[in-house]
Amino acid sequence: MITEEDADRLFQAMAHTTRRKILDLVRHTPGVTVGGLAQSFDVSRIAVMNHLAVLEAADLIISEKDGRSRRLYLNAVPIQLIYERWSDQYSEMWAGRVTAIKYAAERSAKKETKT
Amino acid sequence: MWSELVKSDTELPFFFGAVCACESREPGAPFAMRSKNGKHTSAVGEVLDFSPPHRYAHTFKFTAYDDPPCTIIYELKETDAGVEFSLITENVPTGSKTEKSMGRGGPFIINNLKAMIETGRPTTSGGLILMMIRLFEGLTPKRCRSENWPLSKTAPSTAR
Repeated sequence: MITEEDADRLFQAMAHTTRRKILDLVRHTPGVTVGGLAQSFDVSRIAVMNHLAVLEAADLIISEKDGRSRRLYLNAVPIQLIYERWSDQYSEMWAGRVTAIKYAAERSAKKETKT
Repeated sequence: MWSELVKSDTELPFFFGAVCACESREPGAPFAMRSKNGKHTSAVGEVLDFSPPHRYAHTFKFTAYDDPPCTIIYELKETDAGVEFSLITENVPTGSKTEKSMGRGGPFIINNLKAMIETGRPTTSGGLILMMIRLFEGLTPKRCRSENWPLSKTAPSTAR
């Protein structure tokens, strides 16, 4: 069951275009290493790792140590739970979250230029 | 605005990231709204009226629901203030899942079509919702698989 706090963390995580690009890349290449991922971005590796931390805190990405590397995957079970709530026709939760989505997206857009 | 609206074979952010697959826009021609990789189909329909640049009408059925097709009409009118865009739905059964989805989808389509034309990208919240849709692709119900919705028909070709 996804809580309001989880939903907020989720929307914050997805509100930033760099984080959405990270999600798309991990989706297309499951098991990509942190180093491999960072190569696709102009921003610093530290910035990418900060974004990854936000995505892991939101339960969207999990990582696994592989020797000295860390491999990244989409976190399937939480995404399944979110999907079930999203497609539940009788759920009021998503209707109520529209303002939260907009607010998270706008707040993130203001920070975009820095990272 | 007309050319953005009727683009085929390319991802349309204002239509939830779907690609419109069609062979022609003649009245009676079928179309299918497919995922970018072509594996899933969210909706199918047939062209009713294609009158650039002012009116485009087609039937519309969500593949995920058993509801019969409804009708969607787009009207574009030139005014002094700019182009006035109308999205009209007809023959939607009251209380149906189609009705609920249309209600939620309408504002998304209108706001993101406007944003695409004015900025070249979806709205900030639209981008977030499109990301969610991409994350969910692997969880799409089997009945929405494109094999069940070939372009030549608007009814599924296999039993579910």
